[in-house]
Amino acid sequence: MKQQPEKLGIREYIAIAILMAGARATEDTPATLFQKVENAAWMVPILSAALFFIPLYLLLKTMSLFQGKNLFAVMNKLLGKYLGFAVGLIIFVISSSAISFDSRTYTNIIRTYYFNTTPILVLYAILIAICAYGAKKGIQHVGSVSFMIVFWVICSLIFALLLSTQDSTFQSVLPIWGPGILEIIKTSPGSLAIYADFFLLTMLVPYFKSNKEFQKGTWIAYIFVSIQISAAIFCIVCFFDQSLGGLGYPFHTLIRYISLGTYIPNIEIFFFAIWIMGAIIRFTAFLYLNALIFGQLFKIKDFEYLIPSIATIYLLIGLIPESPIETIVHLKLTVRALAGPMFAAISLILWLAALVKGEFKHAKNKNSM
Amino acid sequence: MRKTKTVCKMLLILMIVCPLAGCWDRGELEDKSYVIGLGLDRSKREGKIKVTMLLANPEVGSMQGGGGSTEKPREVISFDAIDFIAAKVTANAIVSRKISYDLLKIIVVSEEFAKDPEFFRIIYDAVYDKEIRLNAYLAISKEKASQYFLKNHPRMETRPHKYYQYMVEHGIENGLIPDSTLFRFFKATERGKDLFLAMNTSAIREKKPKIRAEDNYYAGQLNASGELDDTQFIGSAVFKNGKMIGKLTGQETSIVNTLDDTTNISDFIIDIPSPFPGTIKQMALRVMKEEDNTVKMNLKGPRPKIFITMPLKFEVMSNPSEVDFSKKKNRDILKAQIARHFKTEHEKLLRKAQKKYKGVPYPLSLDAQKYFATNQEFKKFNWTKSYQQAEIYVKPVVKIVDYGKGPKKEGK
Repeated sequence: MKQQPEKLGIREYIAIAILMAGARATEDTPATLFQKVENAAWMVPILSAALFFIPLYLLLKTMSLFQGKNLFAVMNKLLGKYLGFAVGLIIFVISSSAISFDSRTYTNIIRTYYFNTTPILVLYAILIAICAYGAKKGIQHVGSVSFMIVFWVICSLIFALLLSTQDSTFQSVLPIWGPGILEIIKTSPGSLAIYADFFLLTMLVPYFKSNKEFQKGTWIAYIFVSIQISAAIFCIVCFFDQSLGGLGYPFHTLIRYISLGTYIPNIEIFFFAIWIMGAIIRFTAFLYLNALIFGQLFKIKDFEYLIPSIATIYLLIGLIPESPIETIVHLKLTVRALAGPMFAAISLILWLAALVKGEFKHAKNKNSM
Repeated sequence: MRKTKTVCKMLLILMIVCPLAGCWDRGELEDKSYVIGLGLDRSKREGKIKVTMLLANPEVGSMQGGGGSTEKPREVISFDAIDFIAAKVTANAIVSRKISYDLLKIIVVSEEFAKDPEFFRIIYDAVYDKEIRLNAYLAISKEKASQYFLKNHPRMETRPHKYYQYMVEHGIENGLIPDSTLFRFFKATERGKDLFLAMNTSAIREKKPKIRAEDNYYAGQLNASGELDDTQFIGSAVFKNGKMIGKLTGQETSIVNTLDDTTNISDFIIDIPSPFPGTIKQMALRVMKEEDNTVKMNLKGPRPKIFITMPLKFEVMSNPSEVDFSKKKNRDILKAQIARHFKTEHEKLLRKAQKKYKGVPYPLSLDAQKYFATNQEFKKFNWTKSYQQAEIYVKPVVKIVDYGKGPKKEGK
């Protein structure tokens, strides 16, 4: 390292986490959840959060044994050089495909609702280019920008949902258990991927002053995001009722519908502008994390120079699916169904390894001494 | 070196300016023709529909004061097409500008076509289209939609989008027409449990319409004379599973609107039979619906029982019998009369819908959902079938907030 990297503040970190994970409420997650559990869709994010809490807690506990080390360093230490590399590679592959298909989804949204005739390639390239530029600047810059806009993103989301309540029927979420409690519980593990971002964010530990600060930030963001997603889905279900099943991106249909009285009827561009900023920050942070993982995996110190080339590769992967349907129905759902349980399992394995190796006892002894 | 850097940065900023125009989606007002109204009719050809477009000229009326162009504010074209999405391109054979559904305000469908079982499949294209907003209104016209747009010549509002906006909004506020946006139409049809009301309109006045009690008209029956536009927005068409099955008058529609909590009817004026002696047998009341109804149901047993409590506020607008409302007795008589009148009228309409159309003309099934724990139980209950057996009781809670300008002595 040429110089000591600047530290990341807790509020910047919370902003990044909220923008990364909270954005899921505004894409296709509400619709896919609705297809599975109908009007009880709003419960799933909370249940999944409760479920993912266990592995995340154990992971953070394990990480706290190694002050100032990121996830990969911890993995190498606990699982050994080869196994650690293999697990790291799996994480890299999953998160790479996630970022490719997610960014493609966002491009689809932009093209469907706002720029109908512009070729996908152009929109996609602009999006990725901006993200690559931002990521190249470093995580501190991403952090300060996200802290700047997170307030507006949340405000616009709340504002849009409040406006929608004029035409929504609260009774739509009843019968309260939807298709039955069993069905809801069955869906929750498959939706763990909503919180997969928190797993990847543990890569950022070295940028913090202490592990404590990181943990605190993670829990605040975690609780906030789970409530945010659940509340947003609740409002969307109330608004669309049964017709939610046939929609791809309900949030954008919603903002096209709502209006501010008769004199300001079509206000979607206002929400779109703020939403797209949030989306760009989301992929910037995501891209940075992926580059960081890649750098750690192959021992590349100045990984920031890799970002443009990695971004190009993601762009090319994202362009493979022919149409939006393919991305959502097949690839994205597969990646999502895989990512959540996989990350949870890795967290558990790490904790078990630490337990078996006696790291916890070791740390205790150290402290008592 | 520093100079080069600055120049490079400037160039970069210049490059960024280019995509601001919207890349391929660059659009110019001059170049666009906005469809404000869309008419759908059955075509003589099998498998085709007749599409009518009411195009607005964005240049007209956009300038304040003088200097506006002398072009016509609108253009109406009709032709046969397979659906109204592809019709956009076909229309360009006639219209010089690029056609856009972005500002579509109203879709007018002829009664004949609305009764066609194919209708819902055709109109459902609106969900797939990327430009149509779901807050466009759905209206049913008595005549052919192509005729409707031709006949409709608003005198005061020459710009069509303003005309439809005001016409529909005020109609909804007064309760004469239902709030039938496409969004509500699709929502109701996909729920598939209750009936849906779409606004009724007509541009052709009936030759010799009868004069009826206040608002008890279908579209086109109101006998107005003078220098006016013939278009009327009053009453509603009843839809079941996306197919039109009947009609309600303006008064019946306003009754449904007071029952339905999902619309935002503000206040309207009605006449009720006066309970006091005198030569004039009617008195005018302003009805305000500010609070939501409370619905209680007893769904066990072979005949479900539904109790609707409806809080309404009233203002006395006329007092033809010159009743002294400072006396408590008179106020009680009026209150009892209002409650009786509303109870009978509402129950009569609900029974009529139950018998004739086999459903309830607003989403009442939403209120039934809270009595079930899971969707399966609700499905098993089979709302559409059970409702036909239901006994409905309406209980208006009358609050008279103003007795008018008349004598206001002690006790008011």
